[in-house]
Amino acid sequence: MAVSDSTLSEGAGGGLSLRQRRILTHAGIFLTLIALWEIGSRAGWLDPLFYPRPSNILRSFWLIYVQNGNVWYHLYATMILVFAGFAAGSILGVGLGALVGFNPLVRRFIKPYVIVLEATPRIAVAPLLIAALGFGAPSKVAIIMLVCFFAPFINTLSGVVNVDEDRLELFRSLGASKWQTLRKLVLPDAVPVIMAGERLALTAALSGALVAEFIQRNEGIGSLILVYTRNLNMASAFACIFTLTILGFLIFRGMEWVDHHVAFWKHEPGLERVGRRRRRKMKEALDE
Amino acid sequence: MNMQAAEARVGSDEIVVSGRNVGKTFAGGSVVALEGANFEIPKGSFISLVGPSGCGKSTLLRLISGLIEPSSGDVTVHGTKVTGPRQDIGMMFQKATLLDWRTAIENVLLPTEMTRKVTKADQKHASDLLKLVGLKDFRFAFPSQLSGGMQQRVALARLLQTGADLLLLDEPFGALDEFTRERLNVELMRIVGEVGATTIFVTHNIAEAIYLADHVYVMTPRPGRIASVVDVPFERPRPLSLQTSLEFNQLVAQVREILGEDH
Repeated sequence: MAVSDSTLSEGAGGGLSLRQRRILTHAGIFLTLIALWEIGSRAGWLDPLFYPRPSNILRSFWLIYVQNGNVWYHLYATMILVFAGFAAGSILGVGLGALVGFNPLVRRFIKPYVIVLEATPRIAVAPLLIAALGFGAPSKVAIIMLVCFFAPFINTLSGVVNVDEDRLELFRSLGASKWQTLRKLVLPDAVPVIMAGERLALTAALSGALVAEFIQRNEGIGSLILVYTRNLNMASAFACIFTLTILGFLIFRGMEWVDHHVAFWKHEPGLERVGRRRRRKMKEALDE
Repeated sequence: MNMQAAEARVGSDEIVVSGRNVGKTFAGGSVVALEGANFEIPKGSFISLVGPSGCGKSTLLRLISGLIEPSSGDVTVHGTKVTGPRQDIGMMFQKATLLDWRTAIENVLLPTEMTRKVTKADQKHASDLLKLVGLKDFRFAFPSQLSGGMQQRVALARLLQTGADLLLLDEPFGALDEFTRERLNVELMRIVGEVGATTIFVTHNIAEAIYLADHVYVMTPRPGRIASVVDVPFERPRPLSLQTSLEFNQLVAQVREILGEDH
């Protein structure tokens, strides 16, 4: 036991693993870039008006998060907006996608409109939505809904339509009803592709929220960026942008996590985990 | 057990499946897939349908299963005319067509879910069937974790879970390698013998057809029809070495002759 322990620690201490070396390389490159930026800014190579020093941006982070703490309110407003719009858009997208997918007649008639909608930049309709709904939360949510409706709609539609012919035949041979085929075959089969649509939609929702806030500058990170830029407070504007970077990253990872759990069979570790759980659930019946 | 089942097969004269002048045309009558087939299949027997592609063997199987309707004549199973898929008829395909999001045992339980709420007894039964097909340790594995042969074993267990006593198999091991296929064929014979089911097996492999069956329906194309029925006299269980015997190969030659020069 002691022998194997010492060999293990020797192996670890004898040199850095590939992974560790990679992390160190990335950190080195990142810090060098930041240092170059800082030096360039101090030496006057970069216009400090548009390219604030990293140290100033760091101070702005401290200002807006701790000293003034004003960013929290706007961050909260943006996130509520993103999730409300995303929920509305994706529920509508999945619902309509399924409805159209199940109905061949409707599918044929709706196709030209889908093509037209696909070719039109959805965000162009934003001013019209504000005109129709007025300034305020409803029009903002409507804008986000519009930008994140399409991916779930198209993906659900194609997921529902492209069901494996052999599986359909199996269900027919088992005498499955329409409802059983839908619930036990078509919908579960479409889950991975629907989730891919949802991932696209959530990313689009964040962009949509910013556009909505640029147009209606009363609250949210988008309006904050606008205000700071107008006041030439570029360091704080950058702090807001990096805040969005982090938010975008977290949203992306969160969505990935959900995807790995909902469409678990597409990912190797998920299979093991779910397999164990299902074995436990059936244990009692099998007397094991 | 196996010997008894074999005797029961030969001795029984109760007819499970019968067809009277069964025909099927496609493309508005211009393509004749199957022409006037007449047959009577006794309870517990193993029938092989063999022939080249286009001979209508898969069409005949689908007509019996109720997945498609005949253009002429009719098929009767257990005394009632087949008009669509039924609970007493089970079907297995060349592809395993398992659901990726279900474990092996959940896949086996699928047919039961179509008719009623799954009970603990059903789960126990499905588990026993997976043991029967040799997958005791893989009952909670997902299809992507199983080899092609194992996936077909799950499909076989699912077929047995239907409780149907008429089993229709459409080249069930056709996509597998030679060795796996041979082993699964031996197990298939053992299992359907134990269950006592009537089995109709589609293949394009003459030796396989003879090895498995009590009666081989030799089918020829253009138009698809049953050219002849060859009775296979060998008793069960049949060792693999049977396939190298003189009598066996005489039967193979006989079937080849019926199929003619184009095979």
